[in-house]
Amino acid sequence: MSDPKKPFFVGYLPAPPDLRLFLIVSIVSFVVIFGATGLLIGSTQDDPGPGAGQGRQTVTGVVEMIGYPVIHVTQGTDRIPTGRTLILSSGGKNGAVGRAAPLEGQVVQVSGLLLERGELDMVQLRGGNNGLQAADGNGAVPRPKPLGRWKLAGEICDGKCYAGIMRPGRGLAHRACANLCVAGEIPPVFVSSQPVEGSDFLMLTGPDGGVMPQEGYDAMAEYISVEGEITRHGDLLVFAMDPTTIEVLP
Amino acid sequence: MSVKYVPVQWNRNKWIYDAVMLAGVALFLWIFVELAPGLLSHERPINAPIHNGRAFGACAFVMLTVILCIGPLARLDQRFLPLLYNRRHFGVMTVFVAITHASFIIDWYFNFSPTNKYVAVLSANTDFGQALGFPFEIFGVFALIVLMILSATSHDFWMKFLTPPVWKRLHYLIYPAYAAVVAHVALGVLLDAQNVTFLWIVLIGSLAVATLHLLAAFSETRGSDTRAEGTDWVRICDAHDITEGFAKIARLPGGDRVAVFRQDGLLSAISNACAHQNGPLGEGKVIDCLVTCPWHGFQYDVRNGRSPAPFTEKIPTYDIRLHGSSVMVNPVANPPGTPVDPVPVPQEVLA
Repeated sequence: MSDPKKPFFVGYLPAPPDLRLFLIVSIVSFVVIFGATGLLIGSTQDDPGPGAGQGRQTVTGVVEMIGYPVIHVTQGTDRIPTGRTLILSSGGKNGAVGRAAPLEGQVVQVSGLLLERGELDMVQLRGGNNGLQAADGNGAVPRPKPLGRWKLAGEICDGKCYAGIMRPGRGLAHRACANLCVAGEIPPVFVSSQPVEGSDFLMLTGPDGGVMPQEGYDAMAEYISVEGEITRHGDLLVFAMDPTTIEVLP
Repeated sequence: MSVKYVPVQWNRNKWIYDAVMLAGVALFLWIFVELAPGLLSHERPINAPIHNGRAFGACAFVMLTVILCIGPLARLDQRFLPLLYNRRHFGVMTVFVAITHASFIIDWYFNFSPTNKYVAVLSANTDFGQALGFPFEIFGVFALIVLMILSATSHDFWMKFLTPPVWKRLHYLIYPAYAAVVAHVALGVLLDAQNVTFLWIVLIGSLAVATLHLLAAFSETRGSDTRAEGTDWVRICDAHDITEGFAKIARLPGGDRVAVFRQDGLLSAISNACAHQNGPLGEGKVIDCLVTCPWHGFQYDVRNGRSPAPFTEKIPTYDIRLHGSSVMVNPVANPPGTPVDPVPVPQEVLA
């Protein structure tokens, strides 16, 4: 039985006078709770990292295919010094393997959005020949320098989102996006928990120097340890991971 | 109560309810989207689609949590019944907020790929065998589909079409949907978060939902309604236990609840379940000679279980008699709308 002493609310009738104070307090509390939770959650978002686009850049260099395309800059800009090695990708979740492979070893002109995060430089090519075309000039792919076998701890990310096209562009919430990017041939990177030869990230390939194997997708965005051969290509570190050594770390 | 279906039977209280709800949601989103970025000391801002997606997702979680707290709060304290009155609008609004969250996420994380963005939601991560890196998106998809179904069937037309018991069971899906939302948040954004504020909000919110439901269930089982005694005619209570204009609720041997009302010194017994949403009629009161449901104000003539013309809702009635001062009810319900003569209560019994 309802309490005869308590006010009885009927939706289509005016609220009982005895209930009005309670309703006013409820209304104010409701609005305050929503405002406060919005403020609490919104103002405590984690820092997405320093990666960001740095505007359009046009440089000349030599294409090298290391599973994924990179360019060793022979004629740079104020922002991109000569001798720098840039990782290449196309728009959206698309890599540039198909565009760059026919030009391997050749001097090309590259134009697109520079994405920069620490030591990681990536260029998102403009569409068609405006982004990548053969150019006059001389240049050669620098000789790779083997740095031996390493065991690293860190996280596999897609190089483009991590470089700043998405902020945040790493972590488990971003895992599906990273899978789509790498499946689209965007170069993956290994973000090491400790710097290697002064760099926090290494471009990632399979053990044979080809594209990242399936095991890499399974470990995407997780904190793992993995062994592999590290080679320096220009000023870019390339990590040819051995997928049989992947261990998920606590 | 309705004689024809209209999208919304607006009244002043519904306008106030919706206005307050919109004010709360708008304030949450405005603070999160517009104010909060200025308070963050990040070197680079979070991408707007991600920030907006988080804002709408967090808002949907808070809305759903509040919605699920209203029911048990109203069971524990009748003063919260006004919050229950127009809760379906709150639910529909939640669906729109959740859809906006999903749109931001799908158009950002799953777009720009050769794979169709909706296919990508289900195919980009298929590591179902592990907790870390589990495709948490699937929980969000499930919850969103359930919320959309519940929203689409929230109108009284669907309750009449499906029948209240089926409709009620269908809408119990809100609980697996809420569990899925918690899993979606926990295995997604919370696993990455270094700041634990949202973790605490999710913990407190989900614990509040669970605790309030347990308290309401405990209160109901311990509750005020008595268990009727007997098998043929069953004893409900003493006649003087029933306050004029109110009812005594009892659970019958078959499990149904009966509400025995006293109106103008006469006793009548009707089903405790409102024909609208199974609201507890016995917790209502007699207004203008009609039993009024505490949930949505549906009304019935206590003598025959029928809503006043032109309304057509009907509920079962029960045969009733007095044995001394004991109120006795035949536990076999009459068909809905069957008239039963009320039983007068002698003055000496009430004295």
